[in-house]
Parts: sequence; C-alpha cells; structure tokens
Amino acid sequence: MSDTSHELPFWKKYIFSVDHKVIGIQYTITALLFLAFGFFLMLVMRYQLAYPNQPLPGVFASVLGEPVIGEVVVNEATGEKGKVLTGDGYNAFGAMHGTIMVFLAIVPLAVGGFGNFVLPLQCGAPDMAFPRLNMASYWMYLPGGILMLFGFFVKGGAANSGWTSYPPLSTIATTGQTIWLLGMVVLITSSLLGSVNFIVTVVQLRVKGLSFFRLPFFVWAQLVTAFLLLLAFPPLEAAGILQLMDRVADTSFFDPGGLIISGVERNTAGGGSPLLWQHLFWFLAHPEVYVLILPGLGIIAEVIANNTRKPLWGYKSLVYSAIFLGFMSFIVWAHHMFMTGMGTTLSTFFQATTMIISVPSVIILTCLIISLWGAKIRFTTPMLFALSFLPMFAIGGLTGLPLGLTAADIHLHDTYYVIGHFHYVVAPGTIFAMFAGVYYWFPKASGRRMNEWLGRIHWFFSFIFINAIFMPFFFMGMAGVLRRQFDQTETLHGAAVQGLSVMATWAAIGLAVAQLPFVINFFWSMFAGERVGQNPWNATTLEWSAPSPPPHGNFDTVPVVARGPYEYSVPGEKDDFSMQATA
Amino acid sequence: MELLLAQAADFKPYGNWMPPDLSVHGEKIDQLINITHYFMGVLFVAWGIFFAYCVVRFRAKSGGSAQYHPVKGKASKYAEVGIAIFEAVLLLGFSMPVWGEYKNNPPAKSDRIEVRAIGEQFQWNFHYPGKDGIFGRTSAKFIDAVSNTIGLDPNDENGKDDIQTIGELHLPVDKWIYVRITSKDVIHSFAIPTMRVKQDAIPGMEVPVWFKIKPAATTENLIKSMREDFATAKSDWYRLRHHVATKSYQDKSGQTILAEGEGIGFSRDLGEKKLVQLRKAGIETISMRPANPLEVICAQLCGNSHFKMKAQLFTYDDAGYEAWKKSTIPEVIEDF
Repeated sequence: MSDTSHELPFWKKYIFSVDHKVIGIQYTITALLFLAFGFFLMLVMRYQLAYPNQPLPGVFASVLGEPVIGEVVVNEATGEKGKVLTGDGYNAFGAMHGTIMVFLAIVPLAVGGFGNFVLPLQCGAPDMAFPRLNMASYWMYLPGGILMLFGFFVKGGAANSGWTSYPPLSTIATTGQTIWLLGMVVLITSSLLGSVNFIVTVVQLRVKGLSFFRLPFFVWAQLVTAFLLLLAFPPLEAAGILQLMDRVADTSFFDPGGLIISGVERNTAGGGSPLLWQHLFWFLAHPEVYVLILPGLGIIAEVIANNTRKPLWGYKSLVYSAIFLGFMSFIVWAHHMFMTGMGTTLSTFFQATTMIISVPSVIILTCLIISLWGAKIRFTTPMLFALSFLPMFAIGGLTGLPLGLTAADIHLHDTYYVIGHFHYVVAPGTIFAMFAGVYYWFPKASGRRMNEWLGRIHWFFSFIFINAIFMPFFFMGMAGVLRRQFDQTETLHGAAVQGLSVMATWAAIGLAVAQLPFVINFFWSMFAGERVGQNPWNATTLEWSAPSPPPHGNFDTVPVVARGPYEYSVPGEKDDFSMQATA
Repeated sequence: MELLLAQAADFKPYGNWMPPDLSVHGEKIDQLINITHYFMGVLFVAWGIFFAYCVVRFRAKSGGSAQYHPVKGKASKYAEVGIAIFEAVLLLGFSMPVWGEYKNNPPAKSDRIEVRAIGEQFQWNFHYPGKDGIFGRTSAKFIDAVSNTIGLDPNDENGKDDIQTIGELHLPVDKWIYVRITSKDVIHSFAIPTMRVKQDAIPGMEVPVWFKIKPAATTENLIKSMREDFATAKSDWYRLRHHVATKSYQDKSGQTILAEGEGIGFSRDLGEKKLVQLRKAGIETISMRPANPLEVICAQLCGNSHFKMKAQLFTYDDAGYEAWKKSTIPEVIEDF
C-alpha cells in the first residue's frame, strides 16, 4: 500500500507536498511559531499591565517600533526617556494576540496539524480524500497568516479593534483593519477547504471493519469540528466582506449613520446596524470555541485510554455528547451579547441553551475522569499533560456558568473574569492537550521519542505558572477590572487589585522560560531522540500499525479492523493491548 | 441621619471580592454570583477528591492489570442529573427573576429621574431634561466640543432649561434612576461597578437601564465610611493613586508631608518619593479614602484611550440633589 516507488524532489516532498503527514507537520510547525509570536505579544502587554507607562525592558523595546512604541520621560531631572507601549500599540497587540492565537495558532494546530497527521492514519486511509485540496488549504493558511502579520507594517499599525472587530470602531480604524479583514477571508477559505476534506475522508476512506462506532474518539471530535467549521465560518466570511465594503466602498451594512467621529459628522448613507455584525460574528465565534476544545478533548481521550490501559468509560456517551455539543453550539451565540440591551424573551432562550450545552460538556469530563477508575495509570509526559488538563478544563467550564446567567453577567461581563474563563478552557485546557498530543504522536511522526525528563520539567513548571497567570484573573474580574484596559489603575477598583496583575505578569514570564525545555526537547529529539518501533506506547488504534514514521501511503498492508478503538487489558489476552488492525 | 450614617459604615472599601454594592437590585446579583460560586466550589472539590483518589489509587504498580469491564453504578448519572437540576434552579429561581426585574417593568415616568448618557471617544456626556421634564431636541449640527457636546438645539423651547455635563453624573439616592444610553460614535458600555449596572451604548440606538441607589449611599457618606489604612512600606503609587489622606501627616520637625485631603502625587515618580518621605519620617501606615468613591466607566473597547473613559458619579440626598441642580442650570443656559 505504501508508495515509495519514486523519490520526489525536495520542493514537492516538503514544500508543496500533498502527503497529509507532511502537511500536518507543516501546519504544526507553522502554528507553533504563530503560538510563540502570539505569546510574545501577550508578554509585552502583560508588562505594560503590571507596570503601566514604565519603560519596557530592552528585549521588548529593541524589537518594536512605531506606532506601537512611544516615549516617556523616565527621569524628570535629566529628561531621560524610555520606550513604552502606546494605547494604540496595546490595542493592536490585544487584537492580534486574540486573532493569532485563535485563527493562526490553536485551530490550525489542533485541526490542521493533529487532524491532518492523525485522522487519515486512524481511519486506515492512505491519505486525505482530496490531497491537492489539502495542500491548497495549507497554502491559503500560510499566506493568510503572513498577510495578517503584514498589518504591523502598514501606516497606523495592525488591526486594533479587538479580535471581535466590532463596528463602528473597526470601520473607522486604520489600514491594519483592512488587512485583518482580507487575512480573515483567506484564512476562512483555508478552513473551509480543510473541513470538507476531513468530512469526506472520515465518511469515505475508513478501512474495512472500521464502522463509525469503532472510530477513535479523536476522529469523532475532528468530524464534529469539521462540521462546525463548514457551517459556522461562511456567515463570518460574508460578514467580513460586508465590513470590508463598509471600509473601502462606503457601504453601510453595519453603520447606522449620523456618527460623529472626533466632532465631525461621518458622511455615510447609514441604515445599517452595528449589532448585525455581532450576531454574525458570534454565530461563528461560539462554535469556534468548540472548534478550539473538541480536538483537544479528542487528544486527551486517546492519551487517557492509552495510559490507563483500559477502555474509555462511556465511549458512546462521549460520541453522542460531542455531536450534541456541536449542534447546540450553533444556538448559544447571543450569550456574548447580553449587555447589548437584550430583552427577557431572547435572553431566556439563550440562557437556557447555554445551561443545556453545559450538560454534554459535563458528561464528557465525567467519562474521562471515571475512565481512571480501575486503571493502571502510567505517568508518562503526555499523560501528565492529559491529567492536569482535566481539573483545569473543569475550572474553565465551571466559570462559564455565572457568565451564562444574565443577572450574574451584569457584573462579570467584559471583565477579567471572562478572560480567566476562556483562557482556562483554551490555554491550560486546549494548549495542554496539544502538548499531550505532541509528546504522544512525536514518535509516530519522527520515529524517535521525546525525552521524558525534559518533558516532565516542561509539564511541571508550565502547570504551576499557567495557573498563576490565570487564577488571579477571576479575582480581578470579581473586583470589576475590565478587559482591554491599557492601564487598569486608571479606575479606582482596578487600582485596588493591581498586585494580582503584577503576579500574573511574572507568572507569564515564568511560563515563557518553562517552554525552553520543550523547545530543546523538540529539536534535540528530532535528531537524537531514542529510536522507537511502530508502537512505542503499546497502543491500539490504527496509526500504531503503521511504520514510524509512516511512508507515503501510510501502511505496508491495508489494515482490516476487527474491534473497537480502546481494547486494553482484555481478559484472556496475552498483552494488555489488542490492536484494531488484524491484518 | 444617624441611621443613615450607621448604614454607611457598612460600605466596604474597594478590593475585596466584589466592589461595594450600592444599588438596591445589586444584592440579588451578588447573591446569585455567590451561590453559583458555592455550587461551583462544591462540584470542583467533589470532582477533585474523586480525581485525586483515582490518580493515587490506580497508579501503575507491578503485576495485575487494569479493569477491562466498565465500572457499574449510577453515581455519574445522578451527579449529571443533579448538576442539570441545580443549573435549572439557578436559571429559573435566581437569574431569570433578577433579570426580569432589571429589564421589565420600568418605573413610571412620574416616578423616575431621567438622564441621557451619551458616549463618545473618550468621555461620557450627560443630558438632564431640566424643570419641565422634557428633553430638548439634539442634532449633530449644533455640536460644540466644549459648550454643547450633545448637540442640544438652542432654538428648542424644551431644551432651554436642560442641563448637560461632561464627565460628571449627579444622581439622587433612593429614587428610580432611568438612564437612556446611546453613543455618538463607536460602541461604548455604560458601567457602574458599584451599582451592578452595565449596558452597551450603541450608536443609532437608545437603550434604557433603571436602578435605585441605596438611601445611605450618598457621596458624602461614602467618603466618611470608605477609609482604609495602607502600609507605607508595602503600598505602591498605583494602589493609592486615587486616594487622599483622611488626616494630616507631619515629620518630626512638624512639617506637613501629606495634608488632609491630599493625594500622594499625580505621577508614579512623585508618589513613590512621597512614600519614601513618609517612611523616613517613621510613618508606617497612612489612613486614606477614595478621592471620589464612585465612577462610571466604559466596559467596551472604544479606541486608544478607552481605559481613560470614565466619569465621576456624585450621589446626593434630596436636598443635595436639588442644590446641585440649582447651581448648574443658570451656568449651562448661559453657555447656549
């Protein structure tokens, strides 16, 4: 089945490759670079938040220029000046941090990276259903990302209206916003190409014997995610084009007319509605939350099953919950808009759907935790990340509860509580799942294992620091500190809890340092890690029946599946794992 | 008055969990937030104990194998149903009634003080209807950045007695306040953390919110009650920048370092120097209070100076509110 009959030239093998594994690795490496850049933007912002208007340390100041950097007098006696982040710079960093992390880092890593590499292997397929479409998807993602970053170099700097890009602020913003919209259109197109491919691959390319209920949960998670991307992104793409028209062609889709900007009446036709954008944006952006979560849950399920050495508890409940979660995610969007003036009828509906969507999330988490009962837990590095994911994801999920209740949301809306909530879901949640996935599938991709000792150091310090960053946010939010504030000490209640902001900043610096063992481990192991066979974890799913790394075409012989995905510790079997593939 | 002051003593300074709640409806919001967090805490601790037990009890040891057959029992189902029921109680029993009260049944026109709040980059403008209770017409063509920020039509009879303020909201306590919120430019959000009020200000729309301030929560009472001692060695300028001293502090020679009613400095540089001075004089703690305890802020990103968009909120008893109105009307009319 593998196709090694002819060697491809370098550019075809590694650059414009149609092989899902190469494309998966391309996505992974590109997304990790974007993740690092998004993290860097956050570090600069956090420094400003901890020490408002104090000069940035040289390492930041030297790589940043106008208009994100301004000058401030450090010493009034001597007139000595230092470089500080400006308000515009802070807003640009904030908008781009959110955009990069969501659209260029985590989703591409979770879906483009892990999905591309693992999904066809777990289906027993030789490749994705449409390999060229797959290549096109990556080659729209990368230029889309570069285009996004190009915003930093245009007059006025990058987009600075938040990752939500609410008009009219975004309509009157500088050129960077136009670049942002163009970038989004390209990135969304990339996602759509990928999602179609994923769906067709799962439906059409499963090997013999691999019924839907024998699919690993990871594949189910990717399948539901692909449907979310396919159905939720087009409204945002349309909305993005409409906003682009408002900016460049003076249309008024989101402009009510009669706006007075800096004392001057804006000459537009009017008749549009700023709230229309919010509805269209959140119609995508709430399902997008589950796009961020589901692949992570899929990875965690694989790692937990493998390291507990027993079948996942409630496999079918997990699958049904993921499907229900996907469906419900389309009808909760307006809980992001409770403070727009929503009346009781509409808010009742969206509060109710928000409460309902928590039920499948609770079921998934419960299944994963109960899976530990009766296990024989191996504390490998991927398992450490997976285990710590569970309580942190629970914190993220639980703190969504008060935000989903309109009355509680009055106080908490747009505060740091919201930041704490969704970061617990996405950072200690999904990013920890991504790390678990990298450590888990690295041997499959490279034929070498990552160093366990460095992995444990990476996990331990990341776990400590990431909690030290985000836990204070709940208390800051409770105190009423608003998000998107360049300087929280401008308000009385913000100044009262400034100490928590300082703590979060130093924890963020600590988290940056804690990534060094991972970076070293990643590159060192790529060339010098311990060589492994095709199934170093004694796992059951189909990817472990392929050579490590799998050749073009993936399997030496076409596998045939005779059992479910998590047949661990089957009574009477010689080994504690029974692989899905029988041939 | 004594009773009012006794109540005022309950107002806590900022920095503890939620800010002090000074609105009548706020108690129910705080109650919901607290109950939800107790529930979350119980759930998390219970989950955590089970999780920790599993991790320790079922760690891999030599010999034996994991349990292939799924654990039987209905505990998880009961837990899931229990969570769903509790969420329904939070929704139906707490959130919906509070939100219904907050959003439905606006106070009668005759029973409320109406104010328009108009957001713009980066200030709050307020418009009061004056004695006749009718708001004058506004139009963009009359806008003046200094004297007429809301564009009040000088030819409209209804607007002759109207009051407009920039960055200052004056309200009476124990009366229904009905704020009609809109924006001139981008989306802002009218937020008073101490009143548990938040409402987006959206251009092209006017959305009202209404609330009642607790009888004792006048600015005067708050200033008397919100005193706090700060250690000069541990506090920094950022923490104290909006505070003023409640009494005078002198060095050993009798020279005043920090006068009553004075802040520690407008910039960090000055503030840190003042703290050093106080420490050198052997003053370990200073008693301070917020210079103005109440703020209206903007909760929606509105541009590069969004963080500075705020207004001072002054609250009065009836007599104080009438006195403020009296002092303001003539000045504003002259401006037109």
